[in-house]
Amino acid sequence: MAEKKQKVIPDEYIPEVASRVVTIEGSDYLVENDAMYTFYERSMGEFSPFFLAIRDEKKILGCKCTKCGIVRVPPMLTHCPDCDFAPTQPVEVGQVGRMNTTPPITYFATSLFLHIAPYGRGRVILEGADTAMSVNLYTTTGILVPGLIKKGTEVKVIFKGERVGEITDIFCVPTSELTPDQITKKGLEESELNWATPKEPVFPKASEEDIAIYKQSLKEMQALAAEMSKSKRARKAIEGWKRDIAVKTKAGEFAMCINDGDFSIEERRLGSPDFVMACEDPKTLLDGLSYKGAITDSVIMKKLWISKNMEFNTIFKLDRLARFLAREKKEAAKQ
Amino acid sequence: MAKKVGIVGAAVTPFKGRWYEKTYYELAQMATREAVKDAAISIKDVDAAFYSIYNDIFERTCIPEHPLHGIIGMQHKPGIRISCGGATGAYTISAAHAYLAGERFKIVLVLGVEKATDCFDFLSMSATPEVIKAIAWSGDSFFEQKLGWSASDSYAEVVLGYMDEHPGDLKPEVTAQISSQLSKQARTNPYAQRQFDQVTPEEVMNSRYIVYPFKELEICVYSEGAAALILAEEETAKAMAKNSGKPIVWITGLGEANEHSFAGKNQKDMSRIMSGHLASHRAYDMAGIEDPVKAIQVVELHDAFVHELEITLAEFGLVPLGRADSLIEEGIMLPGGRLLVSPSGGLIYCGHAVGASNIMSAWSARKELIERNLRTAMVHGTGSTVAQYMACQILEHE
Ligand SMILES: [Zn+2]
Repeated sequence: MAEKKQKVIPDEYIPEVASRVVTIEGSDYLVENDAMYTFYERSMGEFSPFFLAIRDEKKILGCKCTKCGIVRVPPMLTHCPDCDFAPTQPVEVGQVGRMNTTPPITYFATSLFLHIAPYGRGRVILEGADTAMSVNLYTTTGILVPGLIKKGTEVKVIFKGERVGEITDIFCVPTSELTPDQITKKGLEESELNWATPKEPVFPKASEEDIAIYKQSLKEMQALAAEMSKSKRARKAIEGWKRDIAVKTKAGEFAMCINDGDFSIEERRLGSPDFVMACEDPKTLLDGLSYKGAITDSVIMKKLWISKNMEFNTIFKLDRLARFLAREKKEAAKQ
Repeated sequence: MAKKVGIVGAAVTPFKGRWYEKTYYELAQMATREAVKDAAISIKDVDAAFYSIYNDIFERTCIPEHPLHGIIGMQHKPGIRISCGGATGAYTISAAHAYLAGERFKIVLVLGVEKATDCFDFLSMSATPEVIKAIAWSGDSFFEQKLGWSASDSYAEVVLGYMDEHPGDLKPEVTAQISSQLSKQARTNPYAQRQFDQVTPEEVMNSRYIVYPFKELEICVYSEGAAALILAEEETAKAMAKNSGKPIVWITGLGEANEHSFAGKNQKDMSRIMSGHLASHRAYDMAGIEDPVKAIQVVELHDAFVHELEITLAEFGLVPLGRADSLIEEGIMLPGGRLLVSPSGGLIYCGHAVGASNIMSAWSARKELIERNLRTAMVHGTGSTVAQYMACQILEHE
């Protein structure tokens, strides 16, 4: 869920006043940190009743055309464009609906949404409405995976506990994850749901063979890491990035360290890692680093567990690292 | 009777992931210099400028075209900027055409430029999240921006809507082959951002998801660059062609359509790109094309996503709706097939410098018509949320 921020622009997004020089073919170019910003005290105008009803009454309002009877949610307009601008009237609609189409899931988000990815956004047609409203979609079972919510899937509007009068005060979950009472209850709140808490997976005891695979995979990953640290192109993928990651597998634990272009894999336990990765088979990670299938996909398909969702961003960088090295090798092979 | 309008000059700058060496002022002038040279005229002969610039946030200024007007030698002449989301370039060509056909001007410059990757996210220390954020300010600001609306997620909605209705189409093996084919086509385009980035279908399949169902190697890359066209009305065009020795490529059909921003009854049908269907068929009508399958030989697409490329060609009537995979399965866009699709490498491999992209497409389509001695090409631009905007042009080589 999106965390509440105190500032309109959170401090961590704001760079220092600084500049640097980039040299290309012997010429210097000046590159400056900069921003273009404008603050607003913005009126919600004719949409105010809709947002206030969500905030204060946990109700969803639409507007109904007095001539053709079409009910639009959210209430986009006061007069119907299909009926030569006949006036519309506010109506309350249901809090259960069906997906208009299969919703997309965003894995690689804009800088404002990196911390909530992966997330689903889709359009729901609520009971009593004719048009579709955009909502965020979640599952109480963990990460949203393709196929869980599809066209026609029945979903329920859930209200956040702290509401400020924004569209993000609500989201939807599949009704198949709710009890009959929860489905019929109006104004169901987030805290009333049974959210699965992300638990670090526990692996079975390793066999001799597992240990042999682990040792071999580790060796191969270390060789790749050395190549990556030497590759100018691969270094770019993790430029300016620092992470110490504890990686736990069935047959052993190791440390993966990213340090501004340097990439290393060492057989040691980290005291205070930035986050934890857990995958039963170390080959999952080896394949990803060898550019045979994306590590991101392993997270999505639950073959790899990460302790912090927002570290998806680091996973992207690892995929990029693998791709950049693979491309450099491919180009070198061509020459 | 409206005047006939033709393309008599064209140029592009290299499309690059980052142009540290130049600002958008210089990129705009570069493309202009080359375009007038291609048309063998002086900039003094040009009556008006039509600017195709998509996003003020990219250029980090509002009215981004004003500093360009003097720099490109257009002082005291009219200048108009068009901005229609991703379809900015194609709509700018439409606007310039209308002024020439209406006999307001004889020669005009269509100038597209964009500098996208000055945007930078200091938290993830990379440009892309900030570039897509700059675009994401174009989502509906009351109901959708705060949900994480993005260009990719809004086009994915349309693609998934299409896949709901046609579950057997847009197969991952096919989208991967299309991307691979486009990468091969970019190999001969010296201006392409990814000229040497040829990928195999396996590599496409193995690339990570960006927004389900799009994988990284099925999505356009953001570019910086400029592109320019010189357009002229019939008599002037003929005189110019005699002088330059370059054949005229006539713009014989144009069509545009914008859909509703929101889905549901009487609004956007998410399983279709109706804007594409309507704009293309309006362009065919104007050009007198009865059977586009027979007539169209080259399509330079606004192919920001491979899946969108497929649906668009179906909406254009060039492959059946629900059978867009025939592009590969029946070899339609493969070497020797009946349709040349995005010979420049398209937006995925030549690159996507938004305001310049559709102008680059027209530059490429004209080049292909002349060099391969073909007759009819099509250019298009799509944009805004849920593939809402569309503009198409039919180009014909005498
Ligand atoms: Zn009505």
